[in-house]
Amino acid sequence: MSRGSGPPGRGDGEDHATNDRDPWEAVAALGTDPAMLAAVVRRAAVDRPGLAAHWRRLVADEVAMAVAVRELAAAPVLEVGPGDGQARTWRREGVVVALAGDPGMPDRLVRHGVAPPWLALRGPIEASVGPAVAIVGARRATGYGTGVAAWLAEEAAQAGVRVVSGGAVGIDAAAHTAALGRAGGTTVVLGCGHDVAYPRPHAREGGLFARVLDAGGAVLSEGLPGDPPRAHRVRARNRLVAALADAIVVVEGGARSGSLVTAGWGADLGIPVLAVPGDVRAPGSAASHQLLREGAAVCTGPPDLLAVVLEAAQDGRDLDHRGGVDDPAGLGTSGLPGWLHDRLVAAWPRPVPVARLVEEGGSGSGPVLAALTRAQVAGTVTRDVDGVRLCRRPPDA
Amino acid sequence: MVMTDGRTGRRLDPDRVASPAPGADDGGEGDPSASPDVLARVGAIALTGLDGAAVGAEAAVGGGLPQIKIVGLPDATVREAADRIRLACQRSGFDLPDTKVVVNLAPAGLRKEGSGFDLPVALAVLVASRQLAPAAVRGVVARGELGLDGRLRGTPGTLPAATAAQRHDPDTVFVVAEEVADEAALVTGLEVVGVSSVRHAVEVLAGRVPRPPTPRPPDPVRRVVPDLADVRGQSLARRGLEIAAAGGHHVLMMGPPGCGKSMLARRLPGILPELTPAEALEVAAIASIVGGRADDLSVTPPFRDPHHATSTAGLIGGGTGVARPGELSRAHCGVLFLDEVLETPRSTLDALREPLEQGRIVLVRSRSRVTYPARVQLVAAANPCPCGHAGSTTRPCRCRPDQVQRYRSRLSGPLLDRIDLHLELQPVTEDVLVGPSDGEPTATVAARVAAARHRAAERWPSDPAAAEARLTRDVPARVVRATVSRVTQARLARAVESLGWSARTFDRCLRVARTIADLDEVDRVVDEHVDEAVAYRLDTEGRA
Repeated sequence: MSRGSGPPGRGDGEDHATNDRDPWEAVAALGTDPAMLAAVVRRAAVDRPGLAAHWRRLVADEVAMAVAVRELAAAPVLEVGPGDGQARTWRREGVVVALAGDPGMPDRLVRHGVAPPWLALRGPIEASVGPAVAIVGARRATGYGTGVAAWLAEEAAQAGVRVVSGGAVGIDAAAHTAALGRAGGTTVVLGCGHDVAYPRPHAREGGLFARVLDAGGAVLSEGLPGDPPRAHRVRARNRLVAALADAIVVVEGGARSGSLVTAGWGADLGIPVLAVPGDVRAPGSAASHQLLREGAAVCTGPPDLLAVVLEAAQDGRDLDHRGGVDDPAGLGTSGLPGWLHDRLVAAWPRPVPVARLVEEGGSGSGPVLAALTRAQVAGTVTRDVDGVRLCRRPPDA
Repeated sequence: MVMTDGRTGRRLDPDRVASPAPGADDGGEGDPSASPDVLARVGAIALTGLDGAAVGAEAAVGGGLPQIKIVGLPDATVREAADRIRLACQRSGFDLPDTKVVVNLAPAGLRKEGSGFDLPVALAVLVASRQLAPAAVRGVVARGELGLDGRLRGTPGTLPAATAAQRHDPDTVFVVAEEVADEAALVTGLEVVGVSSVRHAVEVLAGRVPRPPTPRPPDPVRRVVPDLADVRGQSLARRGLEIAAAGGHHVLMMGPPGCGKSMLARRLPGILPELTPAEALEVAAIASIVGGRADDLSVTPPFRDPHHATSTAGLIGGGTGVARPGELSRAHCGVLFLDEVLETPRSTLDALREPLEQGRIVLVRSRSRVTYPARVQLVAAANPCPCGHAGSTTRPCRCRPDQVQRYRSRLSGPLLDRIDLHLELQPVTEDVLVGPSDGEPTATVAARVAAARHRAAERWPSDPAAAEARLTRDVPARVVRATVSRVTQARLARAVESLGWSARTFDRCLRVARTIADLDEVDRVVDEHVDEAVAYRLDTEGRA
């Protein structure tokens, strides 16, 4: 499998220079290490031949570069400067850009030697220190898979371990969501540019990414502005997911799942890999089982995972159980009427069919259904064909 | 095209006609009354689907070997009429000319189908052969099939034919078989004469026996629909059906086998408002062309439950020549229940899409184009997984996760996208099953539904497009939006967005909320209504 830092060129001949040059000029105006810039040029050249030519002209001015490098010392993290509308948008959304050598570039990436030439991030810079676990899996997940992912993420984050994943639908989303508002926090590594709305439901206003940022998490991307989520880029992204974690757990995935790429990077970088056993008949569990055959550790619950993470966490920081005190929705309250809440707590983690809840509600279906919708919109319960369950483990269950 | 001469085997015909001796052998020995100066014309109706066109059966006696020859695009059945008529007339004591009688069904370019042309053709032949006065058949439209003994039988499509006859000329005298005369009498103001045989018809038209009075049309009847009170538990489904009935919304019921999906669906016609006289006539007309005879005029909305193996043609209508109505049109103004909808081929379901939106189905064949009404309320039912027990609290599901996933992914079709209400059912628990019957009876629910429809009906006429749509289901989205406050719409928009649904879903939820408010007897749609409406949607959009 090719894991080179540069994906193969598309050579589509389309000239993006007019659209995208200004953010790049802004970076250039602030200046940086010539070698680094050369790397950025190389990276840019892969996708955008027209842009590369523009860049070579800028970098060719050695004197300007020397000045720029000096200025760089005063600006540890480059903020995309004033310029065209796109740069302004980035600034408004709080996107900052770190180049290699900047403090904003996560140390883990540098240490593992997989740092990209450029990393655009939203959220706190310090989000990449401390123990972390990558919880990854297929987009096309089963209820079992998302349930386990949420369970692992919840307990890990509760124990102060950061949950890193790819921000995709399915397992990734379940893991990020469950970690929201808990001590460990969560980090999303995108496979496209920050300004590309993908996956759409997560990128929209009030979507997963916004909730991650609201809860103090981080969203990272090595993509250039406007980079679409192409397969090669998403796979390259997986190396960052792997390198940002102290352990990787593959929850669910098919035989060709991208989570195998993440696990492969983990193996290459010496990061422990765990896999959650699935239904042996389900093709959707093939990735997990393949990893188990190849020697991955078995993960049958949060203790398995935490044990590995704690051992691997290099800073040896004492992990405290600070608890998810900053969860505004509250662990014990779902906003549901008392009996309804109690019913879901009693059933946790199994879902309760909606028809059953309505039946037990007695006085008319309307109020029960309306209450469930409100809780669902508030994010305290989830609902699928099997029924309704609380999103979070209730404290007394 | 087959040569008609070839069929009758009278290959010598052209030679005979071209015979150089005028008035020689064959014409000479014939009845003097057969001289070709009388042109008879008797009215008939050619049905294309539900539409009838006025056709004249013109007959003239001319030279040639004894034969009745029918021209004017007759189909096989109409051509065979010649033999039936010959024998029927002979056995009824009429003399047919010993020469050729040509019957032209004008306009000649229109296709004529079915045995209903027997009677008008026979009458025309009798007029042409001077056994009935031309004045006796003036203003007459006849329809019916002759037996070899001269007896008259009813044919399919009596009601639409009678409707067409009256539209063509309000003073029409419609002569049909006695057995279907009451069906024709459903058309108000039409004079209907029911006769038993071709002899009877001639005697009546000639004034030799008194003309039977127009029969009394059958009284509207109510069909027995099973009562909702029989259903134990299932509060969610009851509420869902009530909303569906009030707004005309299509419904999807999902639940394990035996949880009562079809039991509930069968009770839906009972809570729907009764048909208006016009609707009842439409329904009877379709039954007439399909079933041969609309024996009663039912004001209960029809209920059709085609098996999931029914072909596309069987469902939406089809067939060669002039397409016949399918189950869809037979459920017009009523309920079309598709059980095991996920077992129905996707192509068949997709064929329902357009008619459901348009309220009618247009079936085009190479030689005909017919339109049948198809304003139905769709109730689809499905198991939650291939084995049927996923999510069941009583039996384990044996399906693999990917099987369940693939099965459910069929739900996201364009047809199911048009279903406003999704109800997830559960089998009732034992204590509910053996406990006292707790459900409301059909009559109570029907009263609330009628009240809600009345509210809606009073609101919509302010907009012409909505007034035409009548049901909240069909009212344009912009009109529905205009009746809901911005704040409430914003609330729904937030909910829909946070659940990752599309803009189309927004309008579907809003429509359901509108109906819920109507059931609540309030004009304002409030948050509570919107929240409940959102809960009637399963996630079929492939979200995480």
